[in-house]
Amino acid sequence: MQPTSKPSGPHQGKNEPRLRSRTFTSMGTVVSLAVPAGPATSPQAAVDELEVAIAVVEQLFNGLDQTFSLYRPDSEASAMARGELALPDASADMRRLYVEASEWRRLTESAFTAERPDGVVDLAGIVKAHAIREAGTSLLALGLKDWCLNAGGDVLVDGSPTPGSLRPWLAGIVDPADRTTLLTAFPLVSIKRALATSGTSERGHHIWSAGLQTERAKEFRQVSVAAADIITADVLATAIMAGGARTLALATDRWDVDVLAVKNDGGLLATPGFRKLAAQNS
Amino acid sequence: MRLRAGISAALASAAILLVGWQAGSHVSDSNASAVTTSATGATGTTGGTGSTGSTGSTTNGTTGSGASGSTSGTAAGSSSSSGSGSGTGTSAKAGAAAKAGGTYAGTSVQTRFGTVQVQITVKAGVITDVTALHLTDNEQRSVQISSRAAPLLRSEVLSAQSANVQTIGGATVTSDAYLTSLQAALDAAHL
Repeated sequence: MQPTSKPSGPHQGKNEPRLRSRTFTSMGTVVSLAVPAGPATSPQAAVDELEVAIAVVEQLFNGLDQTFSLYRPDSEASAMARGELALPDASADMRRLYVEASEWRRLTESAFTAERPDGVVDLAGIVKAHAIREAGTSLLALGLKDWCLNAGGDVLVDGSPTPGSLRPWLAGIVDPADRTTLLTAFPLVSIKRALATSGTSERGHHIWSAGLQTERAKEFRQVSVAAADIITADVLATAIMAGGARTLALATDRWDVDVLAVKNDGGLLATPGFRKLAAQNS
Repeated sequence: MRLRAGISAALASAAILLVGWQAGSHVSDSNASAVTTSATGATGTTGGTGSTGSTGSTTNGTTGSGASGSTSGTAAGSSSSSGSGSGTGTSAKAGAAAKAGGTYAGTSVQTRFGTVQVQITVKAGVITDVTALHLTDNEQRSVQISSRAAPLLRSEVLSAQSANVQTIGGATVTSDAYLTSLQAALDAAHL
């Protein structure tokens, strides 16, 4: 899906890296892949590379959606939800992701869980991150060195928007109170090349948590986590949304992550990575 | 005669002193174990301080209770085993001089954040403060002690509004909401 008009957006400065991007719709959201526009000598080659890459990523996302979507009656996940298919009989993909989600449940002390209160297995909280991870592997296999993949606000990057430079991809973080403005920006360097955000402002309630629902779930309005990999970032963002301040402390203790949390009163909590950036910006 | 009496009196005093010293050291021993609890707790928190923050240790200092010891025990468990090693060293010193009070340096320990050495302040057998003497990263630079999230003022990040970003992170947008999102604007600009 391509927007038909150009909305007035962030200004593109003269020194800004020239990028090209392609988008598609999957998993109920929009996925976009951006790559540097490449040297002016061979613009056609760069475009073709992008077309191939986006096709591969789209196929991957749609394949996983067909297995894991609870919105598709014909999906494996829906068959399990209806009780027609037991987990031991499910596909290897389904079982693997379930095991991974269960491990995260243990690590986050149940703040993250892949089971709805009604007992239905719902891997929606992890499947998009899984798709991003797999897409990243595919892009690497395709030989792409510099790219930025954004799936509905969750971001994974590699390399730089300016090929051959040390300049990091810079990800803005949207203000949940006003989605047309940014709270801050975070440079996605190699040790933290994944950024995931969980919030109450979009997509309804896909966050469940064993015994942690209710008051704690209302503590934060939006939680962004930067980590070395997208699964860690995504799971911890979801877990902190569900588990509140206690899970936030657990996450910063146990994992090398940076967190920006927006409280319900609009106040911000930030780890040193986000605070340092704020200092640089000012 | 007088001299002899003086000598035996002196010996008696010495014996009493000795007994007293033994008793005292015994008391000091039990003090030591009492303090060890809080010292281990506090230092455990300090192990945690390397990874968590000073909030825990402040609480510990003011209460100095067994309860805080157990709380910080968890912190030590989650941080590193070297943290408890430091706890032993510190608590021994703290125990010996618990009555007098003062400040005592612990041994240096390795943490995820680099080398950490802590100092405790003891007043009347209660640890009142835990501070980091030495904290460096692998490049031997001093680093911020806490990875914990702390309040950040919006005014401190306002200038990020003008930052030239290449992508937008946020809570998952629906395909419909995407159309009016900043990410859509960026994607459109990069067509």
